[in-house]
Amino acid sequence: MTRRTTFKLITSMVLVMLLIVLTACGNSGTSANGKQATLDFLWFSDGKEGEVIKEIIKDYEQTNTQVKINLIEVGFKDIQTKLKTMLSGGKPPALSRVTDTGSFANQAVDLTPYMGNADQFKDQFIDSLKPYYVMNDKLVAAPMDVTANGLIYNKTLFDKAGVKVPTSPDQVWTWDEYTAALKEVMDKGGARYGMVWDVTPHRWSTLLYQYGGSILTEDGSAAAINNEAGIRAMEKFKQLHQEGIMPESVWLGGENPNNLFRSGTVATHWAGNWMISNYKDITDFEWGVTYMPKETQRSSVPGGKFLMAFEGSGYEKEAAEFIEYLTSKEVNSKYNQESLFMSPRKDSSVLNYEFGKEMFEIFADELKNSSPLAANDWSRQTLISKISTDLKNNIMDVLSDKATPQEALDRTAKLINEAIGSQ
Amino acid sequence: MSEGQRLNRNTLAKQNRKLVIAPYLFILPNLLIFGTFIVFPSLLGLYYSFHVYDGLNPMKFNGLDNYIKIIGDREFWSTIGRTGIYAAIVVPLIYAAALGIALLLAREIRMRGFFRAVFYWPTMISYIIVGLTWKWIFGDSFGILNHLLTVVGVEPVGFLTSSFWANTAVIIATVWSRAGFFMVIFIAGLQAIPTDYYEAARLDGATGMKVFRYITLPLLKPTSLLVVMLTLIDAFKAFPLMFALTGGGPGKETTYIVQYIYEIGFNRQELGLASAMSVMLFILIGGFSALQFRLSKGGAV
Repeated sequence: MTRRTTFKLITSMVLVMLLIVLTACGNSGTSANGKQATLDFLWFSDGKEGEVIKEIIKDYEQTNTQVKINLIEVGFKDIQTKLKTMLSGGKPPALSRVTDTGSFANQAVDLTPYMGNADQFKDQFIDSLKPYYVMNDKLVAAPMDVTANGLIYNKTLFDKAGVKVPTSPDQVWTWDEYTAALKEVMDKGGARYGMVWDVTPHRWSTLLYQYGGSILTEDGSAAAINNEAGIRAMEKFKQLHQEGIMPESVWLGGENPNNLFRSGTVATHWAGNWMISNYKDITDFEWGVTYMPKETQRSSVPGGKFLMAFEGSGYEKEAAEFIEYLTSKEVNSKYNQESLFMSPRKDSSVLNYEFGKEMFEIFADELKNSSPLAANDWSRQTLISKISTDLKNNIMDVLSDKATPQEALDRTAKLINEAIGSQ
Repeated sequence: MSEGQRLNRNTLAKQNRKLVIAPYLFILPNLLIFGTFIVFPSLLGLYYSFHVYDGLNPMKFNGLDNYIKIIGDREFWSTIGRTGIYAAIVVPLIYAAALGIALLLAREIRMRGFFRAVFYWPTMISYIIVGLTWKWIFGDSFGILNHLLTVVGVEPVGFLTSSFWANTAVIIATVWSRAGFFMVIFIAGLQAIPTDYYEAARLDGATGMKVFRYITLPLLKPTSLLVVMLTLIDAFKAFPLMFALTGGGPGKETTYIVQYIYEIGFNRQELGLASAMSVMLFILIGGFSALQFRLSKGGAV
């Protein structure tokens, strides 16, 4: 080969490289002027709701032929990163299913002008959810389903030990009665552990509210987690581990509590209502849902999954219309009923589930009897996302004897106050 | 000067110029990739490190505040310390294991290829899979090891819930997954040592350990330097394996520096602070490499 051809070869190689890099970076989006609007819809699934939403999308596309919904499914763990990448990269999806509404509030479409009467729209949903989707008077999202924390128990083990669970709200255990019951199930029923508890500050805080505590003061101006109630709740949590009622392997060793409960050797699992559809296929033993115990009061922690449309997608109007459709009584009830979720709509609190109807009633009752401070804390998502890892680490420090409950919660409170100050 | 000579000189100069450009053109494709995916993001990280940034909302310049915050952050330094201890154990272990296996497998033994493959195999598995695999072995309630212990009547051990055992598990998994790679490098190094030296040593009556100490080890110095430097950098960047095996737990016992930075950046959404930490880590690793290079005089024998 001569020098000249070598040179040409190299130049063309470089050009090809450049071309590849440039096209990869370029924008391949379609224009919004075309007849067909293609809405990118970012989605994650906990259970079977992905299948349900696909059916609903099909229905919607049949009546709205000018709209095509492109469902992009990602894992729950990746949704935050994926969404952030899309938004900061200047290619936002038209809409997304989100749990953390606070982080994306600035990028969200204000749905107010699209919903006719915005107040009427908000009034359709459970009031405690409002702080999650109304921010600075902006309607940044709309609730799709509501979640609650509750108590799932291994019926076979309880029966074997001859221990009865509360069957109505007036029979709920106190925490002492509950721990005594667990010990009996461990002794007589042969349970290896009395309970497992999801490793999230959200699930942990259920105990905090039942002991009358909260993360923040009512007006959200300061930390309240290290008050007397908070300390007592933390001491109780530590004691449950020390007495071997809870396995250390879950909070300290990263073992999956679902797997432990599924193995049939754990008496109770404190989890969210979405676990009902997850545990549906258990055949080795019988299980059910019962009322959580109380200390100074009963409480669950409300949460939800929301739909959010994004500015700059070019299809703000179409996305808002689709959200209105998805949150309407008929569609939303179908979605929650078939996915085995709880509806955020006031008029659909009782759904005709094909499985575990009575279990959902208990979860709904827990939600109804929750401390208002729970929604007050957890709706402040921007703040919560800043401190929840630290809270989790501090709880772990208590369990591994690196800090007393007082020290750990004082440290958390200091971080919370710093985070409030920097907002 | 005749016309012909001048012409000749001109073409020569032209050819020379081409020769000067050609090498750069050859590295251009790689440079382009390197620049786009390594240099540019690094510079961006440096830029972020002087700002408050959550990845979405407008950045706010805050000068050296992030760095000042890090210097006063006890958690950051204790994580660095933990990473240092991990490195101090893992580096010699990998070095010794890789060299030992290489010495055995550089010889003419039966089924040499098979044994080399056995040791090399783990390096081809991604860290996440290595972590998950060892989790099935060390798991507290579902682990095979604890199952076997219960079968023979021994109390199960909280491998992933005790600080000591969790660290041990992480170290074992790291050595298992990395030794094979460095074994290959050592085998290449061993085979590059001329056999004359060994023959001479043998004639002088040296045997076993002595040959190893006075011939093999000194002549392996460049290879050793490479291996130590690579393992040290590896150790300071360790993350996916622990993430899958222990999740950084129990508590924060196996949370090393990269995971800590990841948590600050992605769980707490403080990308500016996390970038500043990455810059610090970069300086630290750069310093190590420079020091090592100087101490060993660039690997010269």
